[in-house]
Formats: sequence, C-alpha cells, structure tokens
Amino acid sequence: MSKIFLIDVGRCTGCYNCQLACKDEHCENDWTPYAAPQPLTGQFWCRVSEHVQGSIPKVKIHYIPHLCAHCEKAACMAVCRTQAISRRADGFVLIDPAKCAGCGECIRACPYDAIYFNDKLRIAQKCTGCAHLLDHGSTQPRCAEACPTDAMRFGEESELAEALVGAKPLTPGGKIWYKNIPGEFIGGTVYDPVEKEVVIGARCLLTGEGKTLTAETDSYGDFWFRDLPAGGTYDLLISADGFADKRFDGVSTAASVNLGDIPLERN
Amino acid sequence: MNDDKKFVPEEQNIVSFSLMGPESGGPCLVDSNGGRITRIRPYFYDKEYTDAHCNPWKIEARGQTFSAPDRVTITPFGLGYKSRVYSPNRVKYPLKRVDWDPDGDRHPETRGVSKYVRISWDEAAEIVAKELKRQKEKYGPEAVLCQADMHGEGKNVAPSHGCPNRLLSLMGGYTLQMRNMDSWEGWFWGAKYVWGCEPVGEMAPQTNLFPDIARHSDLLLFWGCDPEVTPLGVVSHMPSRLCYWLTDLGIKSVYVCPDLNYGAAVHADKWIPILPNTDVALQLAIAYIWITEDLYDKEYIDKHAYGFDKFVDYVLGKEDGVPKTPAWASEKCGVKEWTIKALARDWAKKTASILHGNGGPYIRGPYASEPARLEVMLLGMRGLGKPGVHQAKVIEWSLWNRDYPVPFQGQFVPKITAIADPLRPVDGDVEPHINMRRFELTDAQKERAPELIDLFKKLPAPKQFIPRCHIHRAILEGHAEWRGLQCFSSSQQPGPDNYRYPTQQYQFQKMQYPRPGLSRVHMIWTDAPCQVTCWNDGNLTQRAFRDPSIECIVAQHPWLENDCYFADIIFPVVTKHEMNDLGNDMSSGAFTSIYLEEPCCPPVGESLSDFDVCAKVAEKLGPEYYAAYTGNMSEKERVRFFYKATGCEDYMTWEEFRARKIFVVPCKPQEEHEALPAGLVKFYEDPEHNPLSTPTGKLEYYSTEIAANIPDDPERPPVPHWIESGESHDERLSSARAEKYPLLCMSNHGRWRMHAQCDDIVWNREVETMKIRGADGYQYEPCWLSVHEAEKRGIRHGDIVKVFNERGIVLCGAYVTERLIDHTCYVDHGSRLDPIIPGWLDRGGAINCITPTNTTSKNATGMAVSGFLCDVQKVTDEEWAAWKRDYPEAFARQVDPDAGVCLDGWLIGGDPERKEG
Repeated sequence: MSKIFLIDVGRCTGCYNCQLACKDEHCENDWTPYAAPQPLTGQFWCRVSEHVQGSIPKVKIHYIPHLCAHCEKAACMAVCRTQAISRRADGFVLIDPAKCAGCGECIRACPYDAIYFNDKLRIAQKCTGCAHLLDHGSTQPRCAEACPTDAMRFGEESELAEALVGAKPLTPGGKIWYKNIPGEFIGGTVYDPVEKEVVIGARCLLTGEGKTLTAETDSYGDFWFRDLPAGGTYDLLISADGFADKRFDGVSTAASVNLGDIPLERN
Repeated sequence: MNDDKKFVPEEQNIVSFSLMGPESGGPCLVDSNGGRITRIRPYFYDKEYTDAHCNPWKIEARGQTFSAPDRVTITPFGLGYKSRVYSPNRVKYPLKRVDWDPDGDRHPETRGVSKYVRISWDEAAEIVAKELKRQKEKYGPEAVLCQADMHGEGKNVAPSHGCPNRLLSLMGGYTLQMRNMDSWEGWFWGAKYVWGCEPVGEMAPQTNLFPDIARHSDLLLFWGCDPEVTPLGVVSHMPSRLCYWLTDLGIKSVYVCPDLNYGAAVHADKWIPILPNTDVALQLAIAYIWITEDLYDKEYIDKHAYGFDKFVDYVLGKEDGVPKTPAWASEKCGVKEWTIKALARDWAKKTASILHGNGGPYIRGPYASEPARLEVMLLGMRGLGKPGVHQAKVIEWSLWNRDYPVPFQGQFVPKITAIADPLRPVDGDVEPHINMRRFELTDAQKERAPELIDLFKKLPAPKQFIPRCHIHRAILEGHAEWRGLQCFSSSQQPGPDNYRYPTQQYQFQKMQYPRPGLSRVHMIWTDAPCQVTCWNDGNLTQRAFRDPSIECIVAQHPWLENDCYFADIIFPVVTKHEMNDLGNDMSSGAFTSIYLEEPCCPPVGESLSDFDVCAKVAEKLGPEYYAAYTGNMSEKERVRFFYKATGCEDYMTWEEFRARKIFVVPCKPQEEHEALPAGLVKFYEDPEHNPLSTPTGKLEYYSTEIAANIPDDPERPPVPHWIESGESHDERLSSARAEKYPLLCMSNHGRWRMHAQCDDIVWNREVETMKIRGADGYQYEPCWLSVHEAEKRGIRHGDIVKVFNERGIVLCGAYVTERLIDHTCYVDHGSRLDPIIPGWLDRGGAINCITPTNTTSKNATGMAVSGFLCDVQKVTDEEWAAWKRDYPEAFARQVDPDAGVCLDGWLIGGDPERKEG
C-alpha cells in the first residue's frame, strides 16, 4: 500500500496555503539527501493555478493545486542519465541532489511541468512528498497539513475510500487524485423587456455532443448547464408560456459561456 | 541516515499568527534549528486530551453535523510568517534621520525623502528622553501626540500598542490619538440609531447564530462581505469551512458586491454586481417592492417598529416626490431592474440572514450610515430576530460577545490582563465604568497575582485627544472640531462590566482640539506607523508629517515601512517570534486556549520588545521613571504572573503549563449553549419585555435621537436617504468631477495582507492577486479593471498604471479581469508606501493616499475609504522620464526584488548584511 493525495477541487478556496507551506518547508532549508534548498522564490513544487470561467456576472472560479504526480512510470526516471531519480518503496519519486548532473532532461520529459531547475546549484528539483518529514515522525506532507478545508488530503487509498468516489488519478498508479474539477458551463438570465421582469420557470433545452439536457430558469431568471465537456457545440432553445421561443445555435464550449440577459418577445 | 538530527526540530514553540489584537489568530507550531526558524505549522489539538477534557462542540442541522476541526485552520499570514521575521525590511538597530539635528536644523521638509544612519541604543534613548523633557517644558505634556492604536501584532506582556502611552502618562500626560471605529463606520454612525446594538452597531448579541441559520435559513445574503478575505487576518479559515457546510445543507448564497470577491468566486449561487457605495438605491427599491406589493411582515412592524410611516413616505416619494422604484434604483446602482425585483421577491419568499465581515465596498464609503441603517430596516420588514432572520458576522466571533455565534467558547474566559492602555478615553469625559477595565486588574486577579498590583497601578487618562481620522487636519490647521467621543473600547473579552457600552449618547457631543489651555501637538510618538496606508487621505497625512510645527517624530516598529519614513528616530522592535509572551486564542474557532509563547530565535539585530523600548527611554528619564514604568519586573516574570492572574492555575499548574505549553479551555456544555436564545429572538417574541437599546426600545425607522439632536443634517437625516452629494462628499458618477475621474474606486482589506501587515511576505507576493511585476521588474500593487474599462484606456494586463484624482497619484499594476464591473476600479488598502513625491506620488500602491479627506459625513466621525472617484491611465514614457529626471533619489532607492521596499533602500550606505548576502 502507498499513500496518495486526494484533491477535491470543489472544496478549494484558493487560499494557496499548500503552495505557501511547501515554500516554508523547502525554500532555503536544506533537506539533503532528500532535496537541496529551493530558491527563495520562483519555484513551485506545489503550484496553485486559478481558473476563471464565464463573464460578468456569471463568473465562476476554481483553483487546482499541482504537484509532482510521482508517476508509476515516471518519464523523468527514464530519461535520467545519472540514475539520480529513483522511486522509493512508498512510491515517492525523488531526485538525489548529489547525483543530479543538471542536464535538464527530466524537466523536458515531465508531462506536468513539475520539475524546476535550480540555477545556483545547477540541479533539477521537485516535490519530495516531504519524505524527510514522513521518515521522521510526521504523518502529513506540509501542503496537505496546511489545507484549512481538507480539500487536499493525504493517506492510504483504503482510508480515503469513501472520499475517493468520483476521483481520478492524474496518471495511472500515481499519487495525485483529483475530483470535482468543473467542466465548462453555459448560462444566462431570461427576462421580459416589456415588463422588466425576469422570466421564472422558462424551459431551456440544450442539445449537442449526442446529448439533450434540460434546465429551468430559477427565481432570478437564471439557467445553468454546468460541467459540460470543453470544446463542444450546442444548440439552445428557450421557451416560456406567453413568449416566442428563443434559439441560440452553435454555442461553443471552447470556454464557458454567459449568454447574458436574454430578452424574450411576447407572443 | 547519519545526519538525522537536522530533520528533527531542536526546539518547538507555540506562537500565534496574531495580527489584530492579542486575541486574534490561533496557535501555530514553530520549529527552530540552530537558532533559526525552520518552519511554521498549524497547531494540532491533541485529540486524546481535547476529547476527554474539552468536550468538543458540534452543530447539528438538517441531518448533518459540523464540528471542531482537529487543528487550527491556519491562514496564509500564519504560514508565511518566517518570511516576515527575516524580512529585509526589518529595522535592525536604532536609526536617526540623517539631516534631523535636535540641536540644530531639524529639516521637517525632508521627511519622506532623507535617509537614515545607524545610532546606538544609548544615543537614541538619550535623544528621545531629552526631547520629551524639552517639549514638556516648552509647551506642556500635551505637545506629544501618541499614535498607538492597533494594526500591529497581538502581544500581551509587551503589547505592540500602548507602551509609549504608559510612559507618557508617567510624565504627566500627552495627547491621545483616539482610533475611530474603523471597519464598522456605517454600523457605528448609522445602524445604532435603528436598533441600538451597542457598542458597534452591528447586530448584538450574536449568540448561537450559526446553529440557528443552519436550521432555519434558506437564503444568505453576503452583502459587501467576503468570507474568504477579511476573516483571515483576525480569525482563521473557519468561515470557509462553515460556508461550504451551509451550502451542503441546501442554503443558497447570494453575493451583492462590485467585485466577484474571493468568497463569491467559490461559494456564490448568485453574484449581483453593484456599483460601489450605491447599495442604498438597491435597498430602497427592495423596500419599494415590499411596500407596494404587500410583501412585508406588517404585524411585526406594528409591534416592533417606530416611525415606519415616515420611512414609507420617503420610499414611496411622498416626502421628496421621487418614488424609489426599481427603475430609479437601477440608474443609480447599475443592477438591472428585473434583477432588483427578482431579489426583492426571492428574499420575501425566503427565510434570509445577511452576512458581514467588516471592510469591503459596502460599509466604509461616504455616507456609510445610510446603507447600514437601511439594512436593519429591511431585516425588520422580514421579522428580524425570527429563527433564521439575522445579521451575522463571519469575523470577530469573540468580540464583545458574551456568548459566541459558533459554539466553540470555553466554560470560562481566561482573562489575560494587558499592560498598556492605548485606547482609553479622555479623563473626565466619560463615566469611569466605560474606561477600559481590561487594563486594570480585577479583584480576582489582584487576589490571584498580587505581584502585579504595582505594575497595574492605574495611570491617569490623558486630557486631550484627536480622532485618528482628523490627525492630518489637526496638525496642519492647528485645531479640529468634530462630534462624538471616540470611545473605542478594545475590551474584546466578554465580561459583566465590559459588554455593550452605551456610547450612542456620546455621538452628538461637540469636541475640539486643542482644549482650552492645552498645547497643540509638536511631537509625535507612534507605535502604529500605518496612518498613510490605512487611514483617510494618506497624502494629506504625509504633508502633516512634514509640517514645521512637528519638531520630532519617533517611531517604534519591527519593520521600516509607511509612516516610519517620516520619523526622525526609529526604534527596532522584535516580532512575536523573538520574545516571551502569554498567547490567547479567542477567535480561531476550534477551541479557546491559552499558550506559552517562547522565543523561536534570537532578536533580529538589536531589536527589543515594545515594552523594553520604552523602558530604555524611561531609564534615561531617571530611575524613578524606570521603576514605575517596569514595575521592576522582567518579561518572563510578567508571563508567569499574568498566567497566575488568568485563573487557569485552578485547571493546570504552572509546571504542567510550562511543559505542555498550552491549556485548551473545556468547551461550554453543548446543552448549555443550545439553550441560549439565538440573536434577537427574545425581542422578536416579546418586544415589550425585551426592548432594544434605542430610546423607544423599538426599531427606529425614524431616529428619535437624530431628530432630537441634529434634525436638519441633510447628510444623516432621521430617516435614511439616498444622498447624491453633500457638504462632505461629491463621489458619485453623476458628479461633475466624474468627467475627469470617471471610475468609482472600491477598496477592501487585502487577501494576502492584514491591513498594513504582511505586505512583505515574499511567497504571498508571488500570487498574482497580491502583486504584479511590472516591465521594470518592480512588484506593483494590482489595480483591478474590467476588460472594457481597460480596453477603453489602451491598458493591458500587467501594464504600469496610475490611479489618480485631485488628491494625488498611486502607481499600480493593471489586473484586467472578469471579476469587476465597468465604471469601477479596485485596489486593496495597506500596500506599503514607496514615496516618489511625498504627499503626491506613491509607487508602492498605498491607495489610501488618495481617499477622501472628509469623514463619513459632517457629524459622523468615521472615514470614507471606498467608493470614491478616480481615473486609471497607463503611465506614459514621457511621465516616467520626467519623474525619473526630477526625483532620481527616490528611484535610486534599493528595492528587494522579492520583498519590495526594504531597509537597504533607506539606510545611508545601504544595509551591510544585504550586501554581504
């Protein structure tokens, strides 16, 4: 058994605690042979990315923490010519700073941009899973420990079994699992321009990508189709009693779409 | 591994991330190796200990349970604090402004420009002692203004604020800077007249609100409230957990704010963007819908309200001929007419509470009294006090509350005495019971720790004060007049004597500076040097600091920042991590606790605690001063006796406490907490027998107090109004000024900083919403702009821009975003000043430099620091060239590439340690 990270994006507030705790642990602290000191700034062994979707006022944000996946078939290990990269029994993939020749091959090979080059020390560096702490009494890497909402958890797969429902590993056999990464959305607000009222209960029919989805406008006249696959094309039909149908053809989910305030004409 | 010992901390201490008074923040574990801090982690509660003895709290609602987490939910400030302790911005030794000669020319006009030289402690203390004596002899003791009121680290035995006051009291007095009720402007100067709710004017009590909301509400209105920002510096991440849970329960969250704030970004079911400081229009239109569509609780209004008919007259336009329709409101506030109606009707159908977290775009603008009053009136129309209908706070859960809104409070409150009294009202103006009892020993404390009696001998209150929001004008004009005694109580621990002070009655008093027979100010001693970046019109403040009437400015602070650049003598101060203290966590929300804080590393440079800084000066004044000031007690002795005074020894001996380092206070029994009435439910049920503290005991839709005292104030009439402009402010898009300054600037507390604190945490500065690196390599404060406003101005994301109005120019980095509406820009307050032209042009992004000079309104002595006119434009090459040509010395100051402004830039010859590094 080996321990994994479970990251629930639906519970991440974007506080960056994981990114900051990682820096507190590794910047200018020397944990050789696990890792040499990380430069004070510029490297992100744990990096939070911000994703803004939609447009005013239908805007949603989610944050995704990225760290080394500790891949089962690690590309970095495969390309390393000095055997500096190895996988421990617990699955953590470590770069030995003493053996690293600083060729940078692993950095180019990593599909997740998780490895950084230390200009001063001339070595490649990355997340160690805080193995130096786990080997000396800690149960948690710094990033997971610092998460205030338990959006990032670290533990045995068996311990996390319940929470793992719906989660997917970033890479098969790797240590990073994600859940609740939202897809794209199509949304809008339906209103009556004559009465200047929102239209509540308008029926919205979305067809495309082999599926038909329905939604009704809520008490603010809003409809939402969430978690759509990126890059799809959809047709939308809005109908409400007493109003002419409104159609949007070929709406692309290359990015999330706010169709704005949509006036319906009276019949 | 043979080298294993480096992986185990040599020392582990507990220190809190306390940035807003000693009770704020929560405990962290700080590891040190070789005399240097290695890491800072959240404190984990020992479950065996807490579960067995502390009876962890929980909230049960709708089949789900919310309970105390197993650790402190640490914030980014707490995690990154090592970077703050070792900041290149630390003051390492006493400094003297190079061209300030106390025996010759003092050059007030070069403050903010001239640099510093290192001097010895002996010399610095001698200069200040001599100057204090000279000032007293020449002008009288009131010539010394003491600025010592908050925004520093929370410490108890050597507090960040108030040590100079203690020494100056011993010297015969001083002029007190009285902090205005900041962050609560509208509540304090407005809402009080509707529902009393002393002392702040926000709903009180807050008892049991979150269990009640979880069980009964189905709509939450986050109105100008960001639960992911303002709580962080004060509380912890508990509000984040709570917001997720309330959503899990099926309760809808609607956010009303100009920006998609950090809370809205992840928690909102609906975001209703609104132009900054126009909420009054939206509120009036909601009232209009409810009145005209018969959607309010008439029976409740009959029994609970006073003057409702006059309010109806104003809303329907009978008073002024303007019905406050959704169409009228939409023009003012930018919310679509149909959305206003939808919100009004949805709210009317549901059981809704309003949530707040101080700060933000809503309650700190010009005329903030008006939205505050209207909010209470709207809640009244929905049956305020009814289960699920409250105004609740996501912050300050222990502040002034006898019983908390989330049931984490202990069975008893271990009161830690504080040794200094920065916020005490002026002698003779108020009844003694309003005085800050926390700065005295209670009888029980005297009995427990008689060693402290001498140390806590009551010192006389000062005879003169100036509200903090009037400091600049008072200095420049030599006098000031205002209304209302700024009785800023810092009694954050509830007790029978300090809960709800009746301060409302003092709000109409006319006050003046200087008082007859007392001197105006000629010297300033500050331990809160953040005036320019946290208060109103920072540019005017800078001009005041350079005024020839001010002969000496002394600052004591751990970091060389903001007002420090205007000081003539600067004393270096240690951070929490370098000293002994008794910490207390009253607000991080898991448990309340008391802990022993011990040094995690030696003091940086020659820094001393705030208490010891003033002791150095006392020593130079004479042995009698030193003895009276210190009580002949060391820092460690104070910790020991303070612990004795708390009463915790009945539960944990000093020896056990020293070994364990923390005492977690057992929670109040669940059933005891559950039995407490939630919020204002008793008023709801029986207003006759449970009246509010207003003169009528009811919700006053027409304020009897305002009518009795200043009935003809157009800026705060007895019934709240939409005020387009007035004597104090002209800050609307309808103003003629808007032709030149067409954007409404909104400002909040920063997410990555706590007011002026923590602007130098290098890892926070890598987050793009904290700083944006300009093309010149400098890290600029972000100025948010909508895509449309940016395009109109030819501004691209990351461009260096100037935010400006008649009051000056602040440079920022453009942050072009979908998170902000048109006609608006957004800059957080608290970024550190980097003066290019002191009093006019700042490169550091201290937006408060250009906030309105005037107070909330003519008779409301608050500050207006959000919702003011400005424009944003790209800085042209010609402008850059001219500034660099005319102010080469300012641009030549060294700036740390990662931490920003630093000691190196302000020390003659630079910081030798930086050069070696």
